[in-house]
Amino acid sequence: MKNSRYIVVVGCGRLGSHLANCLSRDGNSVVVIDRVEMTLNDLSPDFSGFRINGDATHMAVLKEAKLKNADVLIATTHEDNVNLMVAQVAKKIFHVPHVLARVFDPKREEVYAQLGIDTICPTSVAAGMFLQAVANGGKGQNGTSP
Amino acid sequence: MREKEYLKKRYAAILSSTGMILLISSMVMLTPLLVLIQNPEESKNALSFCLPSLCLALLGGILWRLFKSESNTTLSVQEGGIIVLVSWLTVILFSAWPFISVMGLPFSRAIFESVSGWTTAGLSVVDVTAAGQMILLWRSIIQLAGGAGLAIIMMSAVVGPTGVGISSAEGRSDQLVPHVRQSARLVLIIYSAYAMAGFLAYFAAGMSPFDAVNHAFAAVSTGGFSTKPDSIGYWNSITVEAVTLPLMLLGNLSFVTAWFVWRGKFYFVFKNGEVRMQSLLMPLSAALLFIFTCQSIYPHIGKAMRVALFETISALTTTGFSTVSYGNWNSFGVFLLISLMLIGGGTCSTAGGIKQFRIYILFKLLFLDIKRHLIPRTAVTELPIWEGNRRVFLDDAKFRQIAVFVFLYIASYGLGVMILCSYGYNLSDSLFEFASALGTVGLSVGVTSAGMPDGALWAEIFAMFLGRLEFMVIIISFLKIYKDITPSGGFSLG
Repeated sequence: MKNSRYIVVVGCGRLGSHLANCLSRDGNSVVVIDRVEMTLNDLSPDFSGFRINGDATHMAVLKEAKLKNADVLIATTHEDNVNLMVAQVAKKIFHVPHVLARVFDPKREEVYAQLGIDTICPTSVAAGMFLQAVANGGKGQNGTSP
Repeated sequence: MREKEYLKKRYAAILSSTGMILLISSMVMLTPLLVLIQNPEESKNALSFCLPSLCLALLGGILWRLFKSESNTTLSVQEGGIIVLVSWLTVILFSAWPFISVMGLPFSRAIFESVSGWTTAGLSVVDVTAAGQMILLWRSIIQLAGGAGLAIIMMSAVVGPTGVGISSAEGRSDQLVPHVRQSARLVLIIYSAYAMAGFLAYFAAGMSPFDAVNHAFAAVSTGGFSTKPDSIGYWNSITVEAVTLPLMLLGNLSFVTAWFVWRGKFYFVFKNGEVRMQSLLMPLSAALLFIFTCQSIYPHIGKAMRVALFETISALTTTGFSTVSYGNWNSFGVFLLISLMLIGGGTCSTAGGIKQFRIYILFKLLFLDIKRHLIPRTAVTELPIWEGNRRVFLDDAKFRQIAVFVFLYIASYGLGVMILCSYGYNLSDSLFEFASALGTVGLSVGVTSAGMPDGALWAEIFAMFLGRLEFMVIIISFLKIYKDITPSGGFSLG
């Protein structure tokens, strides 16, 4: 079944918690890791997975999340370097089949790609949309891309 | 009125989920018909089960279909509470139907039996010698289902809502795996495995297949309905008691801990506070009971030891099977059982009571507080406990919840005892019987009977209901419903 994967989400900020809520509601087993306990309370009742309060750069925390069983890892902390490191550890040591990381700095995307990590860069996504909006000359202003 | 629109939508989702639960419960209600395969002469009673089941299915189906919304709304914990409250009340009402139509019980007695079943208490006003097999099986099945809880049963179904709202409202928030539905399924698998093992063991111990099924169901759900007036004491056999003990302990074990046992992770099992407390409390209580009570009553020393051990575990696990009557027990023995019943079983298990987890934390807190007076004022203290495989630190919010719960529990216990006393029962009987009802235990000194006054009966019904759903859910849900239906919505608690 596609909707019952084991997914580890690192970082429970606005993006991390939103992803965790959606994934959990769709029937996936989700484990969320965050360093600050308060942010874990932002998860909605949609979320029925486990919460781990700890630093994801520590091996013990990743082991606690049973990362070696994970099908997907998503790194969404606000630090590019932390995301890179967690993603690399997941890929190399825990052999997680699918690793996704958020990266803010578009210059780093190249590096990530060479390491075999899928990335999503909010900065370049936003930039692309801005450029499109400019090129359209103010016609597609509602943020909906044509 | 945008708020009204919003509330309408939320309540539609609530009713739709409630309908779902009712629909599943109606199917459960048909299971006693299996008796007909072996016992066709009881078919005249079949209608008494089919009819309520049909009504329940109709009601559930209509609610479910009518309010089913396209958008996938998720319910909050508060809304889950309302679902739990409404569906429990409805299911209890319908479950009482067969008792009325087959046994001819008055309404209050039938409700009592139904509540006692669903809450896995096991106090009974039914004359089991006069009851047919279908009624007996129905009682056991109610207990089996009530032990697992409606939320667990519904969650493990294929369709229906997910989210932690309902399960945490029913006091089943601890999860085995990181998804509520898979967790519910696992719990159900473990639970059925217990019941199956129990059936085989009882059968091997010499019970008839029918008795074996009933007692296995009643034991793993820590319910305690029996098919004999003398309960387990009827067999007076060491093997039957030896089978019952582990079943009661399993039912009392938190499903999370059971999951660790299942996977062989014993390190975490022994770190668990409840397991530690139990392994101290049980031998100690059994020994005390033996020395101060049983030794003098039962001339045979082997019998005295058996009784001491069995009653201790039956009380602490809130099962309520008994092998003897307590009429000739001295006050020490009676009060020891009362204390054990108040402490009760493990969290996230099928047992009731204050719960060992809370007692364990309060106990640790006592030492922490004494220590705090002896160490420098600025020293940082911590209270680590093991929760599953993790070491967690408790915060003040948790302590507050526990304190409030224990206060509510003790207060309603006091109130209930007073009610029983006012009906003319003596103090020790009232203390015992109400602890038994509130902790959903089911041991009885004879207060609960078909002839007891209505007031006392209803007091016990409320006690069992409150004890099972742990007070807060009921209070909060009622207040929320009240708040939502009053037009202004503006009211506050003092």
